[in-house]
Amino acid sequence: MSSLRLLLSAFRLALVSVRKSGVRSLLTALGILIGVAAVTIVVALGEGATRAVQGTIDSMGENAFTVTPRSVARSGARGQRVPPLTEADAAALTEAPTVRHAAPLLSSLTQVSYRENNTAAEIYGTSLAFFDIRAWKVDDGALWSPEADSIGGSVCVIGRTLVQELFDGGDPVGQLLRIGRATLRVVGTLEPKGRSPFGQDQDNVILVPLATMRAKFYPTAPGQIHRVLLSADPEARPARVTEEITQILRQRHRLPDGVENDFRVRSQEEFRAMQQQVFGVLEVLLLSIATISLLVGGIGVMNIMLVSVAERTREIGIRMAIGARELDILLQFLLEAVLLCLLGGLAGALLAALAVGGFGQLTGWDMRVSWRALTVALATSSGIGVLFGFLPARRAAALDPIQALGRE
Amino acid sequence: MALIELSKVGKDYASGPEVVRALKEVDLEIGAGEFVAVIGASGSGKSTLMNILGCLDRPTRGSYRLAGVDVSGRSADARAIVRNRLIGFVFQGFNLLPRTTALENVELPLVYRGVSARARRRRAIAALAKVGLADRLGHSPAQLSGGQQQRVAIARALVTDPPLVLADEPTGNLDTRTSYEVLALLQALVRDRGLTVVLVTHEPDIAACASRVVTVRDGRIQADERTAEPTRAARLLEELGGAPE
Ligand SMILES: Nc1ncnc2c1ncn2[C@@H]1O[C@H](COP(=O)(O)OP(=O)(O)O)[C@@H](O)[C@H]1O
Ligand SMILES: [Mg+2]
Repeated sequence: MSSLRLLLSAFRLALVSVRKSGVRSLLTALGILIGVAAVTIVVALGEGATRAVQGTIDSMGENAFTVTPRSVARSGARGQRVPPLTEADAAALTEAPTVRHAAPLLSSLTQVSYRENNTAAEIYGTSLAFFDIRAWKVDDGALWSPEADSIGGSVCVIGRTLVQELFDGGDPVGQLLRIGRATLRVVGTLEPKGRSPFGQDQDNVILVPLATMRAKFYPTAPGQIHRVLLSADPEARPARVTEEITQILRQRHRLPDGVENDFRVRSQEEFRAMQQQVFGVLEVLLLSIATISLLVGGIGVMNIMLVSVAERTREIGIRMAIGARELDILLQFLLEAVLLCLLGGLAGALLAALAVGGFGQLTGWDMRVSWRALTVALATSSGIGVLFGFLPARRAAALDPIQALGRE
Repeated sequence: MALIELSKVGKDYASGPEVVRALKEVDLEIGAGEFVAVIGASGSGKSTLMNILGCLDRPTRGSYRLAGVDVSGRSADARAIVRNRLIGFVFQGFNLLPRTTALENVELPLVYRGVSARARRRRAIAALAKVGLADRLGHSPAQLSGGQQQRVAIARALVTDPPLVLADEPTGNLDTRTSYEVLALLQALVRDRGLTVVLVTHEPDIAACASRVVTVRDGRIQADERTAEPTRAARLLEELGGAPE
């Protein structure tokens, strides 16, 4: 008999036997179901989170950096308080050899309306460099002029969500928007960027020149900004860029040696490493819990298979008497265990897909059971079947036909 | 050449510290087409002898040639193949697989022979028809009477067309009429197909149907006699009268 045929007929026998012991098969498969569902969900969550982190980091732009203020007790600071981070700082940073663009940023939330339509959106005050750093592209119209960039003007650029919510998809370029208490003309719209991986809508934004932001929406101390966004030469090492930025800002802020930085420089790389580390630890933790539940399921399968072999001793004896070889019996029981585990695995994967899908709907995260997760789940469950089915199957195959026949 | 040649076969069982000598120096030749009844007291060694003849067990001493081939020292797998090819078994307790149809039960030996599903089905149906159960293909053992179950078992034993059928007390669980029916079936097979049957029994009227009676006592062959004129089981059935099943 060819080995394929042997396998096929053993598989058929296993199928029949699994079907005949209905409830027991179901209960046995349940353990595996839970284990596989756990593993699949964990893998899917891990993948989703990794994608989210990756997406967030990538949306920062290529070789991007941010500088934010950092509160420190400054000795000797008197009189007028110096703002921690200024427009002038941002301008000075473009002098750094590896820095290509630097954009100052003030951000806030605001109400915006067009005729009777009204919504809330994020508003950024920044410079034209921002669009280069983030690689945000104009869809309709244009960016504001260089003149408006330096002295401000009643102009804005809006994202796709606002185009849809305020203009019902109509053409907004040239229209006047009521933003807070000011009125601004839309000069351009942005290409849609979709939701950020964490569900934040990146298209629900208004961008205005920094001077306009400060004058109309967000009054600050002279020159003050929330952060500086930078992009560096793609070839430049992040550490080198950070070093240059640090040197320039320390000099500008007149920080003597031994005094801590009053700002923080973060690179995209740093974000990536940090967040991946967190997710890595989490994933290992969850995966080990899931693996333990799979092992418990596997032991359940072994237990049931041992009982099954004991109960079916006479059947095994009959099969041997009429010509089943050891391998025939071994394969029959092994495949039975594998089949049980695979059934449980399939059901578990299905359950996981539902759970993950529901979770994604609830949170707005991009979550799905990937082919990779599915493959891992099914391979693991059949592996468990082989691993934990082997001992019972070998016990069945090693039976002596006379003794097996003699037992009721 | 005889189909079965046992020479100086002995079988020991370890029973605790003691050794039970279940068979001692058994010499036995059985030719093709013989119908042999094995009789003897309980514990005399009949089943041990049948297990060795059926390649279910190996002799401790001596040699066993089946169809000219020495099978006494073969591995478990080799003996499984011999059983599948050359021997059909009929047991006292029928030994059908429960919750499995008559057809599937009869197909089983062919499964282990690697016969295709279609050929398996065809041959199993033919075998069941031959034992008069063509209308019971889909019945499970629980839905069949004892006599019908034993006939399914006989169909299973015959489906591979083996030269030898071994039956250890096949009528032990059957009433007189059904016993005679089974016996008539076996006699017909011996007569029509040249089958060789070795059958263990306690009942003298059953043994009288065989062409040869071997008496085992205390692990030895005490007597080995040919029956001049074996009883025809069909005639016993007629004498019983009444309606057949
Ligand atoms: N597996 C075994 N282990 C130990 N002793 C056995 C075993 N099988 C049979 N015997 C012994 O061998 C002898 C012959 O048994 P058996 O062949 O079954 O007799 P019979 O079938 O004629 O009743 C008996 O004494 C029995 O107790
Ligand atoms: Mg016996």
